[in-house]
Amino acid sequence: MILEPGKERRPSGDDSFLGIRVGVLLLIAFFLFGVLGFRLWYLQILSGDRYVESATVNRVRTVVVEAPRGVIYDCNGEVLVDNRAGLSVGMLPMDMYDPKDEPEEFQAEIARLAQLLGTSEADLLKDYERAKRDPYITYAVEEDVPEETVVAYLKEHAQDFPGIEVEKTYLRQYPYKALATHLLGFVGEISEADLDQEEFTDLTAGVHVGKDGVERTYDSYLRGTDGWKTVEVDARGRPVEFVEDVAAESGYNLILTIDAELQQAAEKAIVEGIQRAHVDGYTNAAGGAVVALDPRTGEVLAMASYPDYDPSLWVGGIEADKYAELLEPEANSPLFNRAVNGLYPAGSTFKPFVATAALDAGVVTWDTIINCNGRYSVAGQTWKDWTEYGHGDVNLVAAIAQSCDVYFYNLGYLLWEQAGQPLQEGLRRFGFGDRTGIDLPGETTGSRVPDKIWKRETGQTDEEQAWKPGDEINLAIGQGDLLVTPLQLAVGLSAIVNGGDVWVPHLALQITDSSGRIIHQFTDEKDGELGVAADILNKVRRGLRLVTSDPSGTAYDAFRGFPRAVGGKTGTAQKAPDDDYALFMGYAPADGNGDPEIVVVALIEEGGHGSSVAAPVVRRVMEAYFGYEPGGSEIVPVTE
Amino acid sequence: MEQPTRVLQPARERRQPLGFSLGAYLKSMDWILLAATLCLVVYGLFMLYSATHEDPTLSTPFWYVQSQAIGLALGSVFLITLSIANYKWFARWQVYIYGAGLLLLVLTLLVGQGEETVGANRWLGVRSFRLQTAELVKFMLIVSLGAVLVEGAELRHRFRFVILCVVYVAIPGVLIFLQPDLGTSLVLVSILVVMLVVWGIRLTHLGILAGAAAAAGVLALRVLPSVFGVHLLKDWQLARLEVFLDPEKDALGDGYQLIQSKIAVGSGMFSGKGYLQGTQHNLNFLPERHTDFIFAVIGEELGFLGAALLIGLFAVIVWRAFRIARMSRDLYGTLIAAGVAGVIVFQVFVNIGMTIGIMPITGLPLPFVSFGSSSLVVFLMAIGLLESVHVHSVAGRPK
Repeated sequence: MILEPGKERRPSGDDSFLGIRVGVLLLIAFFLFGVLGFRLWYLQILSGDRYVESATVNRVRTVVVEAPRGVIYDCNGEVLVDNRAGLSVGMLPMDMYDPKDEPEEFQAEIARLAQLLGTSEADLLKDYERAKRDPYITYAVEEDVPEETVVAYLKEHAQDFPGIEVEKTYLRQYPYKALATHLLGFVGEISEADLDQEEFTDLTAGVHVGKDGVERTYDSYLRGTDGWKTVEVDARGRPVEFVEDVAAESGYNLILTIDAELQQAAEKAIVEGIQRAHVDGYTNAAGGAVVALDPRTGEVLAMASYPDYDPSLWVGGIEADKYAELLEPEANSPLFNRAVNGLYPAGSTFKPFVATAALDAGVVTWDTIINCNGRYSVAGQTWKDWTEYGHGDVNLVAAIAQSCDVYFYNLGYLLWEQAGQPLQEGLRRFGFGDRTGIDLPGETTGSRVPDKIWKRETGQTDEEQAWKPGDEINLAIGQGDLLVTPLQLAVGLSAIVNGGDVWVPHLALQITDSSGRIIHQFTDEKDGELGVAADILNKVRRGLRLVTSDPSGTAYDAFRGFPRAVGGKTGTAQKAPDDDYALFMGYAPADGNGDPEIVVVALIEEGGHGSSVAAPVVRRVMEAYFGYEPGGSEIVPVTE
Repeated sequence: MEQPTRVLQPARERRQPLGFSLGAYLKSMDWILLAATLCLVVYGLFMLYSATHEDPTLSTPFWYVQSQAIGLALGSVFLITLSIANYKWFARWQVYIYGAGLLLLVLTLLVGQGEETVGANRWLGVRSFRLQTAELVKFMLIVSLGAVLVEGAELRHRFRFVILCVVYVAIPGVLIFLQPDLGTSLVLVSILVVMLVVWGIRLTHLGILAGAAAAAGVLALRVLPSVFGVHLLKDWQLARLEVFLDPEKDALGDGYQLIQSKIAVGSGMFSGKGYLQGTQHNLNFLPERHTDFIFAVIGEELGFLGAALLIGLFAVIVWRAFRIARMSRDLYGTLIAAGVAGVIVFQVFVNIGMTIGIMPITGLPLPFVSFGSSSLVVFLMAIGLLESVHVHSVAGRPK
């Protein structure tokens, strides 16, 4: 501590230097301001030219390097979807005319561009509004632009198109054209609504994402991570210096459970089935679906829905008129995946499931004999069998084989009399009334197994709210208020033939990286088990086997000469006011000679009889699966 | 016997200047100071409009200008009120003002609202009313530290008293540093230094303080992080320092602002590109252009002339502030006037300095010009304080 005792008593002495101290501080302040002024002189006057150049010339730009999406393969390594290089035209707003300062030039440029690209000015102005949010990043307004015409013109007339950039992009291509479109889905620019979703939080406008099918379900694997290049460019937009370069990481590949050849056969078989229906006189037939599952795993081997569409329409963005065409009533809903989302009455294909539930509930045994004289009456109502004079005395196995309605009317009434709702409970264990959980987006929630509660909640009048014997009798033959999807039938039949396992059907097998390393192996997942005695399933399977092997079976003709033992069930579902829907579900091998390997469900909308129209479709798919030449009766040559 | 007269005598004296007469008040105002201040604020409003009118998110291009004008109106009311009031009132309430300041800072740390971009809590607010507490505390500290120094006028030779003053400033300084707001805590240091110098600190004491500060700086930046792993400064604060030393190193990150603002100012040349004609901020090249980097807009659009005019106006204000410090009839007036001058000089130098690359980037606004009501209102209050010292020094003084 420095003490200066001598000065202690001179308080005013310090004040006397006040003027000097304040003056010194003022000088320091002015000196600092002088430093600022001097520096400004240096910056603005001495080296101002350099900075003027920098302001106009030295611009840092970020170019997004798009990551190629992963390739989608079938189970044999056939490429179903991959990428091709394409060119896109984009806007770089910072280099375009400013619509405020130079409105005429701006409008003229937009008009020129609209004419060149064949789009409307209004669309381009909308694009410009989006592009403007990030003015130093090129925003693609038109993808897959032809190089010889549009790109060449843009390059020749570059001075007329300031801020219009041509960039390389990856575009989806489909070697098999429209094969399996409903499964694969398509890719498009992310929508505003999608941007708000959690799975897409890292993404920005303009990015491409899967819109439907497995492209959507497995988007996070397929998408990859975009890279970017930051470059300093001169006034002409030429890169001067790379500042940063982050490589794009391509997406992972997806291997599907489906087999492209089987898929082709299934799609062809639907077309053939529709023609067969036309020959049968069902000229309204225009749509159909096929599902083929491996009953041992739930893997989807093929899944077809007709009519379909060309997924390459979406490459580079679908044009409005093309999209409108797809939505026309004449197009018959090609975007709709009937196999997963189509809701139909099951008709007689439902009988094996009803039989299983009835046996499990103990209302009959397999050898309970019921006489069928062609009609069944209860509570003042009469139901007809599909044959005029009936099937005579039949047991349950024969009732399945011959699709005897009267037997099942009886079952319906017997089950109605039971406490609780054993029929509905038994059916729900197969997965009916619920989603299957397949790995495709937007599976329908509309499947319905009608019961007391449902009737009470939906009926308007007391009459409509009551669960009557007729409701249960209709349900027992797969009619009434029942709604199922072809996929549900395939899952249900799989459970019967595999001993009771209800699988979650799935399309994805593996995720691999570009070097083939497995990133993720999808495992088979069980939705539940039937919990039904093995003997019950044996008896039901015997009935299914007789459908194709016994001359009285409803699909005997359709499978005559087929080298493998097939079990199955026909269905001719009534859906007023439409014509009948033709259904068949089958499995093979069905002779106990090895586990059943394949379950196939076929549906032809308004195709008439399941036995003559849908069963041959299943036969075609099985022929393709086992590698046999097409055979059987009533072959209709497919004409494209 | 003498006591009654001693009581009465000063009372009569005091009545003379205090009795309010509008004419005397107006005559004793420092009109040059007031005019320079108003010119600066209006200049700032024009530049604020230029910097923000193209912001597409605004409902009206005048949004920022309107908001700042409300600050001007509020600040003007404070300015006039303070200029009429006797500044000596503050000395009496020193303890409470200081305590209130600390309370505000503690509240800000506890319940303050942040600028999410830098992870700092700097605002204290109720609904739409938000106060950047550190701004107000700067001036609370000037008036309270002034009172402490006046009380200690006889202790100039005592280094222990100087240490007391350092601690007195360090407490709010650390609270502000914790927000974290390094820039404003350095403003407090500048207040301390300027007021100590004017107060009459011994040169040896000043030397010791300078040495200690240098040692502390080395400790904080080099020894603590590398030897003990203690990081007093946030990473972005260190990054700003590094960028200052070599802006090209990180041209797109922290160096971006610096490079772009230098380009903006430099390309303005002698007379600028013209009002509203700046290209650098048109396309968002210049972030924060309406707040901390408003000077870049001035330099770009109005060139060296506009920048010199701005610095000239600041020089006038600082000159008048030091003049008021010199002519104050008491030490307290001198100290607070010098404190205000010190804050203005420090912030102007640091703010413009960072815009043109001679100081590191610290988030200090340009007084009277940068967007921000808290800063504007508080600086107008400071001018009111200067006017109060001026009025009470001139009034009653023989012409």
